[in-house]
Amino acid sequence: MIILEDVHYSYDGVYTALRGISLQVDDGERFAVIGANGAGKTTMVKHMNGLLRPQKGRVILDGRDTKFMSVAEIARKVGLVFQNPDHQLFLDSVKKEVEFGLRNIGFTESEAAQRRQKTLASLGLEGFAERSPFTLSGGERKRVALASVLSTEPRFLALDEPTIGQDAHQKNQLAQMLAEMNKRGRTVVVVTHDIEFVIENFPRTIAMADGQIIADGSTNMVLSNDEVIERCSLAPPQMTLAARALRNVFPEVGQRLTLLSELEETIMGILGGA
Amino acid sequence: MSFLEVFQYTRQDSVMHRLDPRSKLVLSIVCATVSMMFMEIIPLLMVFTCLLPLIAAAKSLGRWAKSMKGLGALLVFVLVFNTLLSPMEYPFSYSLSLAIRLVALMTSFSLFFLTVQPDQLSQALIQMRVKFEFAFAMSMAMRYVPTLGQEAYAIMDAQRARGVELDKGNIVKRIRNIIPIIVPLIIVSIRRALSIAESMESRGFGVSENRTYMEMLRFRKRDWALVLSSLLILILVIYVRFFVGLPGWMMWNLPF
Amino acid sequence: MALIEFADFSFKYLGADSLALKRIKLTIDNGEYVVITGPSGCGKTTFCRAINALVPQFHRGYVAGNVYTDGKNTREYEVATFASVAGLVFQNPENQLVTLDVEKEIAFGPENLGVAPSEIRRRVEELIELLDLEELREKHPHEMSGGEQQRVAIAATLALKPKVLVADEPTSNLDPQSAEAILEIIAHLNKRGMAVVLVEHRLDLVAKDASRIILMDKGRIVADGDPREVLAMDLCEEIGVGVPKATQVYKRLKTRGIELGNVPLTGVELAELVQEATSR
Repeated sequence: MIILEDVHYSYDGVYTALRGISLQVDDGERFAVIGANGAGKTTMVKHMNGLLRPQKGRVILDGRDTKFMSVAEIARKVGLVFQNPDHQLFLDSVKKEVEFGLRNIGFTESEAAQRRQKTLASLGLEGFAERSPFTLSGGERKRVALASVLSTEPRFLALDEPTIGQDAHQKNQLAQMLAEMNKRGRTVVVVTHDIEFVIENFPRTIAMADGQIIADGSTNMVLSNDEVIERCSLAPPQMTLAARALRNVFPEVGQRLTLLSELEETIMGILGGA
Repeated sequence: MSFLEVFQYTRQDSVMHRLDPRSKLVLSIVCATVSMMFMEIIPLLMVFTCLLPLIAAAKSLGRWAKSMKGLGALLVFVLVFNTLLSPMEYPFSYSLSLAIRLVALMTSFSLFFLTVQPDQLSQALIQMRVKFEFAFAMSMAMRYVPTLGQEAYAIMDAQRARGVELDKGNIVKRIRNIIPIIVPLIIVSIRRALSIAESMESRGFGVSENRTYMEMLRFRKRDWALVLSSLLILILVIYVRFFVGLPGWMMWNLPF
Repeated sequence: MALIEFADFSFKYLGADSLALKRIKLTIDNGEYVVITGPSGCGKTTFCRAINALVPQFHRGYVAGNVYTDGKNTREYEVATFASVAGLVFQNPENQLVTLDVEKEIAFGPENLGVAPSEIRRRVEELIELLDLEELREKHPHEMSGGEQQRVAIAATLALKPKVLVADEPTSNLDPQSAEAILEIIAHLNKRGMAVVLVEHRLDLVAKDASRIILMDKGRIVADGDPREVLAMDLCEEIGVGVPKATQVYKRLKTRGIELGNVPLTGVELAELVQEATSR
């Protein structure tokens, strides 16, 4: 369990990036963090794995204040996948790249090799083990970076903008993989602007603006709030727009429609009877 | 490194900012030369007091003061170190004049760098017949330095999150730990350079022999006035210093 | 004469295993709004680069066939020749802003081509107004958001007065609101008569403006036509194209025996079609 208690943070002492974040992340949860650029999403996530330490307030990981833990120690429990894979890839084979992180946080050589094999297989990257990451495409590099974090099997996994530059197939794959990890009891946190990805895959959403949490609840509830959409620089999802237009004519259409399948059923209801 | 701020361009609307970069270059060099000509406390203080109004004219006194505060530690170091080790008769006076000279030199050059935007600097170089490609490369380097800095921080974060401990271990280990930072930094920089080149090529970079410039720097009357009076002061100071000699009161030293 | 003509064009990058473009044949005319989409690695970016001769002049490799842009063979003329025909906008705005100042950035292209200073000044002012850059005039690229940077990059490209704007995923690094603003600008430019070639994943946002959608997969063109026709094909799901949600609902209803008459591209269109269907 990760608990953030009234966390404040400022990069330069003038502009406050986080102003009083309190949040509890339970084991086995799956949620999304949304917000405009500069709202503090990434800053908050960096507090979860100790890259940043609160200037005021506390972060408690499994009952221990992270103030007394090193980033390497926290990394065993909390994995963070960054937006740009090129910021971490530096070795000349995918295999070495994945094993690097494992060795760093204390796995033996044979354990590391075993875990590396398992992770590459689960991401469909077995064939790439001997390839140099620098010869891979952007989407593939992104998966290698993901593999290097996943291989450590962190109990908490946070991903920063994982869908950028991914096509529809790759997004589906990613979603499936995250769902599977979650099913196995791991916590999955995603920071994203991709509202459709959130709607289809995450039951809980936290919305941030100006360094504060402005909404936290079921995705359905948070994303049908126009003020949240506006303050997070998002565009209302197509399904919400469709539902609203329908509601003008068919008052029986519910207030909170977001899922594609729900809209499909509603339209079946309207037209099926006709 | 806050004392370096005094060499960083800040956007302002001031008399100094409006001057042509070339005339400011002359001014800076003259001020620096004059500070280099003296080793005595009184003349150096006089040079220094002449520089301050110029910084004020650039509306940058606040920034200057902040940088000098940042320089404080270095100045104290110069004072102590030189006083203890100098073979001179009056080691403290000597160190004091060294320190004043350092401040005067920095202030002289900051007059130029505080008030000249990098793009203007490259324009000035072009008009001084430096090759366009070279001048442009220089201003582009300044353009991308902060980007590179941000990138380096992002890479450090990404590697620390993977358990790389940058500030632990012996020297060998620390040096080895630089590799996961340096390699990605080089690679992202190469990728970035290619992508920048692609964009510039698409906009016709380097194609025409007859490149035009939307705005040429113009040497105005005030620039001539500045250059002429700077040179005049330089000649006067040289004359006094080398041909007349300093009056006794200017040679005053502290008795230690 | 077509504005852009691909005549059986194939290309393989130096050192690559497979062709990036395979026997591309198509023409694009003045005033069109062409959206190109397809899975990662399908050849979209190479297609854009081939329009202004970056492929094969800047990125070298194996070439077969020809591309004619504004009637000129891209194998025979250098990239700069095409600067005032095809204006390219790239994914990362940071890498397109090479000066420290908006005016200088817009002036950069025309200066390179030797346009008269008074004319450059006129274009700069015109573009600052057209793209609403007035409050950015004094800003350093670092002080701008990604969306603002991309607006400046578009202005800098337009300063060369191209006949076609070729934009390669210009919104993929932006937040949804900035992305929409950029796409609105592009649609607006098209309405003023400029041809547009746009590579984009977010079909939800652009399908409604496009006059034509081209699907690419593994270096080939696999579909090319009216957006509604193309997006209604099952092929889209097969190769992994992000079909607009409204179109997906339409397709699902169709398999359940409900025909909405037309293919919707947005949620509002979908609602309208449902309404029409009930009143029939």
